[in-house]
Amino acid sequence: MKVLEALLSIFINPQFYKIALTASTPLIFASLGGVFSEITGVTNIALEGIMLLGAFTSIVFTFYTGSAWFGILMAVLVGIGFSWLHAWASIKWLGNQIVVGTALILIAQGITGFLMKPIFGRPGQTDFIGRINDISIPGLRNVPFLGEAIGEINPLVIIAFVSVFVSWFIIYKTTLGLRMRSVGENPEAADTLGINVYKIRYFGVLMSGVLASLGGAFLSVGETGNFKELMSGGRGFIALAAMILGNWNPIGAMLASLLFGASEAYANLLQSSKLIEVPASVKPLFNMVPFIVTLIVISGFIGKTRPPAADGVPYEKAE
Amino acid sequence: MRKFLVVTLAVLFALSAMAFKVIMVTDTGGLGDKSFNDGTWHGIVKAAQELGIDYEVIQSYEQADYIPNLSKAAKDADLVFAVGFMMTDALFKVAAQYPDTKFVGIDIVPPEGKELPNVLTFTFKEQESAFLVGYVAAAMTKTGVVGFIGGIPIPPVERFRYGYEAGIKTYAALHGKEIKVLKGYTNVFDDPKKGKDLAMSQFAEGADIIFAAAGACGNGVIEAAKEKFAGLLGKTNPSLVDFIDYYYDKGKAFFAIGVDADQDYMAPGAVLASAMKRVDMASYYAVKWAYNGTFEGGHKVLGLAEEGVSISPMKYTKGMVPNKVFAELAVLETLIKSGKFHIPETEEELNTFKAPRIKFPF
Repeated sequence: MKVLEALLSIFINPQFYKIALTASTPLIFASLGGVFSEITGVTNIALEGIMLLGAFTSIVFTFYTGSAWFGILMAVLVGIGFSWLHAWASIKWLGNQIVVGTALILIAQGITGFLMKPIFGRPGQTDFIGRINDISIPGLRNVPFLGEAIGEINPLVIIAFVSVFVSWFIIYKTTLGLRMRSVGENPEAADTLGINVYKIRYFGVLMSGVLASLGGAFLSVGETGNFKELMSGGRGFIALAAMILGNWNPIGAMLASLLFGASEAYANLLQSSKLIEVPASVKPLFNMVPFIVTLIVISGFIGKTRPPAADGVPYEKAE
Repeated sequence: MRKFLVVTLAVLFALSAMAFKVIMVTDTGGLGDKSFNDGTWHGIVKAAQELGIDYEVIQSYEQADYIPNLSKAAKDADLVFAVGFMMTDALFKVAAQYPDTKFVGIDIVPPEGKELPNVLTFTFKEQESAFLVGYVAAAMTKTGVVGFIGGIPIPPVERFRYGYEAGIKTYAALHGKEIKVLKGYTNVFDDPKKGKDLAMSQFAEGADIIFAAAGACGNGVIEAAKEKFAGLLGKTNPSLVDFIDYYYDKGKAFFAIGVDADQDYMAPGAVLASAMKRVDMASYYAVKWAYNGTFEGGHKVLGLAEEGVSISPMKYTKGMVPNKVFAELAVLETLIKSGKFHIPETEEELNTFKAPRIKFPF
């Protein structure tokens, strides 16, 4: 009975929703980035690396200028530059996209590790540098429950949700979106109709740089205010899973990210619960909850997902 | 004249060969980890500067570097430091080959039957410093719920938890206060966001003080406490004075407790105290002993009595903690130091731990 109470009482804790939102936000950004890239036909497993670089860049520029928003702007620019490398190697030179992505992850880990010493004077981690504070939403703050859950919220969380709907609009309601999708499905046909396949693919990959970099920046200047080497902690890969689970659709990717974030928050609250006594040696198992949830959802509730037909296939213009 | 030159040169040569040299080999964490590498190095530098001897550091980038780095150091130096539990095997392999060089291992226990006369190893009674911060946390909690966040449950992390829980139990028994301990593990040491999420969960479950023994995840815990505390004030980026003013007015707060080094500075006012592990004391004395010729191989476990662990000076939060608590801490500290009060260092000892009936002399 106690166990059931513990399992259910989490859902009526408004803080659960707040923690779930902040845990989902980096995944939402990065999985959206994945959608943009893959819908045009370029597999981007470099999300993890772009996130790490975004987290690092935003902290570095916050450190130099004192403005976290400027840090985020620079993270976006560096994200564009870094994903341009991906686009250049895999679109222009038809490189294997998985290999290029892996290389970029390693490069991001190397660069951030190397630059720690010259910039912050020591490897490993920085002190607290600065972060973007939560804003309180007037009117909502005093509403019971809802006020506690989202009355005070990080502006980046709002930006994440806004970009989901903007992305959905771009991909499904504009000519550009139609072109992106057609390039991802059948680049030859799109090419014959006069669409510049390379340009569209460049656009998709660069957008993934922008979004994944924002996701990384959220981890550092959005949440913790410092940088630690390898702090992206595999979230880029979880975002890829969210993208697939969401069937390469921005709304789907958001829902999948929310599911992952919520199950992580749930696991955290469950292992912190006052109601159940669990021996400390068993506690680390709680960290598996998100992955168990993923397995159940994928095997039971989601039908077959279908990637864009030309996803991962380099396009070479016929002579 | 020539004879004089030869003699001078010989003397100079002999002197330079005699010059005592210390080399520290880091583990992959390297300098800058704010934990045992940095701590050991501080102690070495302090002792070496006092004694006027040479000192040097060799950075290991991967585990395969340990043996070559230690061997190189053993050839060049009189005293070699190996830092971190992960270097145990490498240290004992190399030390066996260089019996004339002295070795010191930090956070290392000699493997069964492999003790060497030229190797001195240190571990720490983490539980004793954790006991003190646990006692303070129990005294300071207003919600009757406190939290513990560990990284991976390896022995040093767990010893921190045993001591913390024992400290809380002791306060609860002596003052008849009902206190719950929430426990959680991030399962990694290098993901601050994970630490923050878990801390936010414990705060959501009613905790108002959280002790983190989770490496870099602890930064996230400190950030979470700062954010929650600032949220109470309704201010962004409050100063230390704001925190103290609010605490005096309303008597409410959210605190984190730091670990290993004095982490109070990381968020002044929102870090209640830190459970410190004084690796710098170990390396400082090891250098002095080796230099004075009083170096002896073996294994040493340093606790409060040996100044191997301690509670941070609480520079910023001292004003918020009642004087009575400090007086009681002083009594407990003397009891622990004298060996009359044993702090549990295993799960079994913690389970059978009964708070002693202490009569405070005031």
